[in-house]
Amino acid sequence: MNSFISRRNVLRASAQGFGAVAAEWLLQRELQAAPHFAPKAKSVIFLFMVGAPSSMDTFDPKPALNKYHGQPLPASYGKVGGQFTDGSNPLLGSPWEFKRYGKSGIPVSGLMPHTAECVDDICFVRSFYTESVVHAPAMYQVHTGRILMGYPSMGSWVTYGLGNATDNLPAYVVMPQPEGTPEGGTPCWGSAFLPAVHQGTLLRPGPTPILHLKPPAGVGPERQRRTLDLIQEMNRMDTNPEDSEMAARIASYELAFKMQSSAPEAVDIAKEPEHIRKMYGIGEERTNDFGTRCLLARRMVERGVRFVQIYSGGGPVSIQWDAHSHLKENHEKMCGLTDQPVAALLKDLKQRGLLDTTLVIWGSEFGRLPTSESGNGRDHNPHGYTMWFAGGGVKGGQIIGETDEFGLRGVGERYHMRDFHATILHLLGLDQHKLWYLHNGRHEKLTDFGGTPIAKVYS
Amino acid sequence: MKRLLVSLLCVSLLGGEPRVDPKEEALVAKRRSYWAFQAPVRVEIPAGVHPIDHLEPAKRPPLELAKLKRRLALDLTGMPPKDVSGSYEAMLERLMASPRYGERWGQKWLDLVRYADTNGYELDAEREHAWRYRDYVIRSFNANKPFQQFLREQIAGDELFPGDKEALVATGFWRAGPRHVVGGNQDEEQNRQEDLIEMTHAVSATFMGLTMNCARCHNHKFDPILQADYYRLQAILAATEFREVQIADGEEAQAADEARKRHEAKLKPIVDEIKAIEKPYREQFRRDKLPTLDQQFREVLEIAKEKRTEEQKRLAKEAERQLSPTWDEVVALIPPELKAKRAGLRKRMHEINLDEPAPPAHAYSVFTVDEARKTHVLKVGDHKHKLQEVEAGLPLVLKRDLGDFALDPRGRRAGLANWLADPENPLVARVFVNRVWQFRMGQGIVKTMNDFGTLGARPSNLKLLDWLATEFVRSGYNVKHIDRLILTSKAYQQQAERRRRMDSDQLRDSILAVSGMLNPKMGGRPVKTPIEPEIYDIIFTEAEPDNLWPLPKDRSEMYRRTVYVLNRRTVRLPMLANFDQPDTMSSCPERATSTHALQGLTMLNSEFMQEQAKAFAGRTGGDVAKANELALGRAPSEAEKRQAREFSKKGGTAEDYHLALLNRNEFIYLP
Repeated sequence: MNSFISRRNVLRASAQGFGAVAAEWLLQRELQAAPHFAPKAKSVIFLFMVGAPSSMDTFDPKPALNKYHGQPLPASYGKVGGQFTDGSNPLLGSPWEFKRYGKSGIPVSGLMPHTAECVDDICFVRSFYTESVVHAPAMYQVHTGRILMGYPSMGSWVTYGLGNATDNLPAYVVMPQPEGTPEGGTPCWGSAFLPAVHQGTLLRPGPTPILHLKPPAGVGPERQRRTLDLIQEMNRMDTNPEDSEMAARIASYELAFKMQSSAPEAVDIAKEPEHIRKMYGIGEERTNDFGTRCLLARRMVERGVRFVQIYSGGGPVSIQWDAHSHLKENHEKMCGLTDQPVAALLKDLKQRGLLDTTLVIWGSEFGRLPTSESGNGRDHNPHGYTMWFAGGGVKGGQIIGETDEFGLRGVGERYHMRDFHATILHLLGLDQHKLWYLHNGRHEKLTDFGGTPIAKVYS
Repeated sequence: MKRLLVSLLCVSLLGGEPRVDPKEEALVAKRRSYWAFQAPVRVEIPAGVHPIDHLEPAKRPPLELAKLKRRLALDLTGMPPKDVSGSYEAMLERLMASPRYGERWGQKWLDLVRYADTNGYELDAEREHAWRYRDYVIRSFNANKPFQQFLREQIAGDELFPGDKEALVATGFWRAGPRHVVGGNQDEEQNRQEDLIEMTHAVSATFMGLTMNCARCHNHKFDPILQADYYRLQAILAATEFREVQIADGEEAQAADEARKRHEAKLKPIVDEIKAIEKPYREQFRRDKLPTLDQQFREVLEIAKEKRTEEQKRLAKEAERQLSPTWDEVVALIPPELKAKRAGLRKRMHEINLDEPAPPAHAYSVFTVDEARKTHVLKVGDHKHKLQEVEAGLPLVLKRDLGDFALDPRGRRAGLANWLADPENPLVARVFVNRVWQFRMGQGIVKTMNDFGTLGARPSNLKLLDWLATEFVRSGYNVKHIDRLILTSKAYQQQAERRRRMDSDQLRDSILAVSGMLNPKMGGRPVKTPIEPEIYDIIFTEAEPDNLWPLPKDRSEMYRRTVYVLNRRTVRLPMLANFDQPDTMSSCPERATSTHALQGLTMLNSEFMQEQAKAFAGRTGGDVAKANELALGRAPSEAEKRQAREFSKKGGTAEDYHLALLNRNEFIYLP
């Protein structure tokens, strides 16, 4: 609650009449937007691997796959739903060796040597499933809970539930792959029927991290301030102090102005010490981009941003994890781009004491099939795949759930996206059933008719 | 099967009334007394009194005339008034007769039916002929088409008015929503179910004001809409399929065909040249890639084509797929100078494509096929878990005589349309007049405009709602009549309790009107307006991203009204999205109003606003009085004149002053 109090003071200090009303209005909104119970995590960084990494080649070793490489999947496995194949192709052994790491001894493949160093902080859930073999609908399910477009994204629900902890930056920022957007596109961070204030804001490195942040060329800060002063003077003339919404509009312009200096500062990584930049792989060709975005995520969280979403992959097929053929080349490339930065993010958050309150999620829309496609690739597998959690109250160094001996389907405890979302909301102190919005006569919720938080993740 | 036959026979023998399941009947019987399912009761209005003043007296003093006229113009046309001469009543008539009236109502209706110009989802392809429905809606409101007819055309124009092109276009209603179109293994039944879900929601929310999506999965404890009701409604649509039907006559079609051929002939040399440049690199890619292919593929390619078995053919096809490079893989191999040449050719190709002739006119419509598919109740809405089969029918709680409605697949929608358009239908008139009230007053008499069910809000003034509903029916479903009644009431004309903010469309259109840049042209294919590079970057494509957003050659097209701007479901324009433009994925009965910092940034710094401020300043020649008159519809006060002088003295430019006016609360909030 500290952030609310400091907000109050800051806004009061700058408030003159209208400002106070507006501050009150914004504050009211924030007070309504508060956790339902004591939260473990305050913010979330969601690392999304577009196109779907293969679980059996990263975090879920399947020795049987290599043993029966080239042979058909036993008939007992029945019909297999992929997007382009049906499971009749022979099994494809993993090209990578697995080793055990950390005190927990959790196995990780040779693709992820850096992430492997962090396994004691990570909780792997190996039996998530989604309900579409097609990228976009499955992405919608991971982001919004439904395979259909048109529902608010997780980040929108979280900021709707918790508000922002900073005035100077948007509560929910999104950093897509510079080469292009994921299949699901903007609905992956859209607010759908929630008010527009809850939509994810695109953030990019560089001097203009937010759309329309800077005045156009030739308009300096002084000139903009002058215009803004005129607007605010006019607006005070127009506004009945009782009208909280119009008063809030005055406050929103001040926030916009503040954002003009705070956002560039927040993305200015030149001030980060050399060893930190190096840790994220900034300056190295392979890791520079994703490393920069991971470092930005840490800086956002430090400044009170509630939800950060980063995409690895998007646009041309060659910059996605979608290894329908040439699995080896594809995954070596994509892991090369991301493994070191992801591990650096975890270590950096930890060394700053931020990992305790920051939930980091690594995931994708589905995994990949144990059978081959094009001889050396794998088709989509929504039936059982791995995502992981770290920080924010998560008990690291453990594996939850399992898949069958080939990694085709989850067995035993399988987890639906409703459970995934319920777990995340729980860590943030939000009751999935209390976080609703009335839309067209229905109490819409992220978890629809409810999921079960995966208690083992945090206890 | 035998039982089914017997029951069908029973139905026809008994005069077409399907038997009612007593268990279902017991579930809804109690709910029949719910207010929304009762016939509206019309109260007597004393002579010489405005009915609304009698039923909903004003609570606050009247708004002064000048402000009232501004409010009226923004409500009826979506823009500030150009001409405020004459009495309020005279202005009201003038504005109602203006084509802007239908554009404003059109947007409202398009929000409800979640109209957009694209499919949505990852490919989000543009729908070539969808805009004709948009224009149909605007035309209908401008012509004051009786709502009854408007409804019947949209629900079953093809069945009720065969041969009527306008009515066929109207059935685009069923297809206004999103649709998932994608390649690969498809679950046809799931796709069909998704279409049916969209259609069922559309008709129940828009016309019946009932939220039926809860009933898709289960019977709700308090809701009188049964799960079987939901699937009975789906069964009405069981023979309905999507189809583009040509409405161009032979001559027009031939002309379009010839234009297309000429266009393709113009393109061909350029396309050929690009292909010639790429050819060696495509071959190089193939040569390099071939050895990396799995052995089985290499082997199969060595077998002569005609000698391949079926399995080998499949493998060969797969091998070819792997050997064909994606655009970026080709471009990566081309040396710089050729790459530049290729880019130039592609640019030229895109330029020529700006003149791509329109295909012959089609209706983006629905079609009734002879054979209806069977409809089952689905366990928790899952098409893989079919429960009992159901026949076409209406919600039991509202059921009246349906005739042989359920039996003939051809004509089920007509039956639905006639039932909805029946003056005895307790919901349709109420739901629509409530929308008119909400549109003009900012809040519905029933606050949940799309949900008149037991989970929705109760009417704040049932007498008023019922009087308006009965008046609507009596007037022959005359929309302008109801609109006029509301707009001439003291309740409308009183001072606002909370001022309403312009919605995203009013805002953009008003800015264009004030700056003088508005292009008032009506109708036609949707237009693209400039987008920011950041937005261009997030357009999803796996193709070469060099022509994803071609702007019209005629630049004045970019200043058309917002209702004509291409509405792409996955590419939201920041200015509109920031001001709560609906996402077009579900019915939007009422725009949200959020207030946040990104709005300020867009309103100050976007290229659009800079351009508009400049045009506005150019239009006034920097004259403060004129600027205030145009933006706010009034002369500046002494204090405001002083303020403008001070601003200028401090170095403020005319453009900035005009920009400030467009950012002003007085401009953005309705009086």
